[in-house]
Amino acid sequence: MKRYLVLILVLSTFNTYLFSAEAGMPQLDPKYWASQAFWLILLFTILYISIAKFYLPKIKKNLDDRENKIKEDLDEANNMKSLSEKKLEEYNIILENSKKEVTRILLESKNTLNKDIQNKKDSMEKEIEKEILNAQKEILQLKKSSIESINNISQDIASNIIEKMSGDKLNESSIKAVVEDISKKNIGKYL
Amino acid sequence: MASNPMQQFSVHKIGPEIKIAGIDLSFTNASLFMVVSVASILLFLFLGTKERKIIPDKIQLIAELVYNFVAKMISDTAGSKAKPYFPFIFSLFMFVLLCNMVGMLPYAFTVTSHIIVTLIMALFIFIAVTIIGFIKHGFKYLSIFIPSGVPVVLLPLITVIEIISYLSRPVSLSVRLFANMMAGHTMLKVFGGFVISLGMLGGWLPLSFSVALTGLEILVAFLQAYVFAILTCIYLNDALNLHH
Repeated sequence: MKRYLVLILVLSTFNTYLFSAEAGMPQLDPKYWASQAFWLILLFTILYISIAKFYLPKIKKNLDDRENKIKEDLDEANNMKSLSEKKLEEYNIILENSKKEVTRILLESKNTLNKDIQNKKDSMEKEIEKEILNAQKEILQLKKSSIESINNISQDIASNIIEKMSGDKLNESSIKAVVEDISKKNIGKYL
Repeated sequence: MASNPMQQFSVHKIGPEIKIAGIDLSFTNASLFMVVSVASILLFLFLGTKERKIIPDKIQLIAELVYNFVAKMISDTAGSKAKPYFPFIFSLFMFVLLCNMVGMLPYAFTVTSHIIVTLIMALFIFIAVTIIGFIKHGFKYLSIFIPSGVPVVLLPLITVIEIISYLSRPVSLSVRLFANMMAGHTMLKVFGGFVISLGMLGGWLPLSFSVALTGLEILVAFLQAYVFAILTCIYLNDALNLHH
């Protein structure tokens, strides 16, 4: 019984607390409900319209712009990269080609130089040979003529000696024959 | 008692009485703080979109972060079909968030601590979602009351439960926000009263509680705005994508 009384007391105070606006919850006082509803709807409509019509499109456009810009920049960077790679490749090819050219030129000049040297050497050798040949010929001729002149001299000497010793003059042709005979016998010694 | 914790929720008229067709539509302190919240949102968005730079400054960055936050919330819960309702969800989130946050300022009035305000928003969402559902799916929309994979024996019971839960959506949505706001602010006020009544000697304990509660209430203010917006998204998802 006592418990029931307490419960009723609590409930009744709660009731008055809840539904009497003066002491309890001002939220449940319907006096300004219409006013709050009116202002809420009015202000929220203003907010919604300005957000939907002005601000969100602006933010969205800006975000899209930024995304596009980033994408464009990235594309450009990629393009640049491929371009530079291409240039590098071209440069490498040029380098390779010029290296080949250099070796080719080097080889060519070496070859021509060698050939030149060989040619000069050949012609030089030929000339030397010719000179040697000439000199030999000359020597031979000189020898021949020297033998003749020796023969003549020895003839003269022999006839002079014989004349002085015997006082006679021998016939020249017999002296010549003797000298020639002796020189023929002994010429091997001097040649 | 001057420090009646419910005093802070009382509405009073500011300026002249406005009566249209016998209905009192006077400008009140509640209306004033609604104006403050809406004006803050519009000012923030104005500053956030004034200079559209490629590299944003701080306020522009915040505006873009909020935009992305709400956009992600919608696309995660309601999918791409909910895109046309993005401005509404965004406005709703910002409005509830700013009303809650403005209410945290000393001497400020918390607009969302009034059941009539939250109920109107919740009822609007409920009715709009129901209309969208019927427009998109016709009478097939009623199939959300019949979950798939339920034994036939249980079907009448489940359907009744589903209908009740569907109809209680506006109530739960509005009461959740209103009750959270009211309870938090009442508690802050009660602890504030304790600080005064216990004086210099004993007032430190409730003061530290009060400080901690203020932090908690700021969290709750954000969280309730988020919950309000995300539940709207979920209801919208039910109406747009009929899964059952």
